[in-house]
Amino acid sequence: MKYLPLVWRNLGRNPLRSVLTAAAIALAIALVCILRTMPAGLDAILASAAANTRISTHNEAGIVYSMPYSYLAKVRAVPGVVAAISWNWFGGALDLTKGVEFPNFAVDPDGFAEVYADWGLEPKVLEDFRKYRDAALVARQTLEKHRWKVGDVITLQSTVFPVTLSFRIVGANPNQGGALYFQREYLEQALAGAGVQFDTTGMIWSRVDDPERVAPVMRQIDEMFRNSEAITSTETEKSFIGNFFGGLKQLVMIIQIVAALVTLCIVFIAANTASMSIRERVGEIAILKAIGFRKQTIFSTLLAEAGLLALVAGIFGAVAAFGMLKALQLYATGAGPQLGPLTAFAVSNAILVQAIFIAFFIGILSGWVPALGASRRSVAQTLREVF
Amino acid sequence: MALPLSYSWRSLLARGSRTAFTVAVIALVVIATTLFWSLIGSLKRTLVSSGSPHNLIVMRKGATNDGSSQLSLDAYQTIRFFEGIAKDPAGNPLVSPEIVVQPFFHTTGGTRENVLVRGIEAPALLVHDEVTIGEGRMIHPSSGEAVVGRIVAKRYKGAALGSDLRFGNANWKVVGILDANGSSFESEVWVDARELANNAKRPFPYSGFRVRVADGADMDALARRIGDDPRWALEATREIDYYKQLSSTANTLYIIVAGLAVLAGIGAMFGATNNMYAAVQARTSEIGTLRALGFSRGAILGAFLAESVMTAAFAFVIGAAISWLLAIAISAAMGGIGFASQTFTTNVVVLRVAPQDLLMPLGLAILIGVFGGLAPAAAAARLRPVEALRKA
Repeated sequence: MKYLPLVWRNLGRNPLRSVLTAAAIALAIALVCILRTMPAGLDAILASAAANTRISTHNEAGIVYSMPYSYLAKVRAVPGVVAAISWNWFGGALDLTKGVEFPNFAVDPDGFAEVYADWGLEPKVLEDFRKYRDAALVARQTLEKHRWKVGDVITLQSTVFPVTLSFRIVGANPNQGGALYFQREYLEQALAGAGVQFDTTGMIWSRVDDPERVAPVMRQIDEMFRNSEAITSTETEKSFIGNFFGGLKQLVMIIQIVAALVTLCIVFIAANTASMSIRERVGEIAILKAIGFRKQTIFSTLLAEAGLLALVAGIFGAVAAFGMLKALQLYATGAGPQLGPLTAFAVSNAILVQAIFIAFFIGILSGWVPALGASRRSVAQTLREVF
Repeated sequence: MALPLSYSWRSLLARGSRTAFTVAVIALVVIATTLFWSLIGSLKRTLVSSGSPHNLIVMRKGATNDGSSQLSLDAYQTIRFFEGIAKDPAGNPLVSPEIVVQPFFHTTGGTRENVLVRGIEAPALLVHDEVTIGEGRMIHPSSGEAVVGRIVAKRYKGAALGSDLRFGNANWKVVGILDANGSSFESEVWVDARELANNAKRPFPYSGFRVRVADGADMDALARRIGDDPRWALEATREIDYYKQLSSTANTLYIIVAGLAVLAGIGAMFGATNNMYAAVQARTSEIGTLRALGFSRGAILGAFLAESVMTAAFAFVIGAAISWLLAIAISAAMGGIGFASQTFTTNVVVLRVAPQDLLMPLGLAILIGVFGGLAPAAAAARLRPVEALRKA
């Protein structure tokens, strides 16, 4: 520790080089943070599905294969099911030329509170959601992105049904996918007005009373519909979401490859600087050794120099990443349906802290070889070469 | 008089290890950028190459894609006799009524994906003239047969030619493989329209029509006539515009990747600057000598700038070559890269580094070289010969 001032002074010897190196590492670290945040958006959605007693029932053939709405009552009657609601994809767009910017679903308000008990929605919000036919619960991130607030009225034109509906925002929900929920009955009436019969549902979400009972309840539901017009497949929320985004697996892998490449880049930047500054100092190091400094001391001060520079750079990089991710969130959330949750850019402290550690570790690692070489060099020979 | 380029070149080689570090940094940035850039490029090419310039796509007004559109049988029966539609040799209008359903498929890797299944009728291949049967044969109507895109055949369980493919709670016999020049049709499965509608219990028979416009006919007039018909709320779009619109979301991705690439580029530039400063410092006496010999400041500036740009150019070549090989390796290992599409189906893109994908990384590398070398080269040019020689 007492050598820290020496280490610091050494870094200040060539301030331009130190600053350039730190800036290069900081930028690379910021980039690593951003890249690692992309797949983390997917993980966050999976983690938010931690409620392991919530299960999804849908047609075995796919989500677009519907089930009769009457299935909901049958699912609700299964022992162990606390509450169940139906989900219908509305595919509403604010502006048709932009397409569907966030998912929106028609759901049953009865049972919504129980199925999403873990969301901690306020009783007032839930009451409004039941009371007003045109009520909508909008995900917090969607509210932020569009600068909407509770009480606003928004209009969505469906890309699935021949109707356009206006909604009154009654509250926020913590859905990571940015979803909006509204009353099924509102849609049903609008469709009746348009002469369209509406008696199907795409999904049924239920809450089971006991985690132990989830597997038997799922089996029982599927068993119940085995010989009916729509064979069902029931799975836990986690499995459902994991499957839903399963197609993004290769994309995530490519992002990880690129993040690894950028990390490798940091190794080279740091190693170059460490080797340059140590090479310039061989004479000085030989003198230090000649006047009695031990090999280990020299080695560790050189290593500390590389580590400290990278650590400072890492901290700057993480801070920069935080700012950039916030900006990306506003600009790019839901940028394209092609990337799904990969463009959610939700800042995660774990990733930022990890990045700082990665920077420090790389700094130490890249200083290792030149520092070891310098500390091991024979004093007599070096002095002979230099002077 | 300018210093010969070989001076810069030999100087680079003289400090091989440090040059190698800089080359590695820039090459890595080039690889990272190229991989992302060509991934979006591949996605865009896949989408844009879908669709024919002679075709119109007819959907319900308000539907953004044919997966969310429904049309009635009488609309089809009427529209197919509109003027300006091409006809096959037998005189039947080239209108392909289609129904799109997105059932679950299981990949050979065990994951579940939605695949675009297109129910078609006889004119389909004539209207979609970019799609051909590469292997096997076309389906017979009402026979429980399916033809699958080339990518589908490799990616999903039971989708190989001759196997039994299970989706939509039914078994389908794969009798042919569709080729479509790498476009998104290769991520689709085609079956008989009626069978698919029954299977999915769809109330409306069709999702949309593809209309082949007759040579010389006014495409926009036909589109307007379909759109203005008061009997149905329909909308006709040029098929290429439809796919261009589907691919437009990729433009945002381009901007994001360009932003990230610039960040990485600035980082690499700082690394290059560092290296060049060290080079100037190490050669102070040499620069003094050159100046004493009569080489101008401009010549010194040029020589050091050339050194920096050469490093970057060399790094680009290495980076581009590695990216090209890496893309091939990734495609071989993963098959294709799945993107979610607006129809909620998986659009499989084969990663390929096309020449135009290299332009942006090349520009980036050159900028890294120029701006990374500018300040150190200027510092070298500013050195005063007498002092530089004395310092040594």
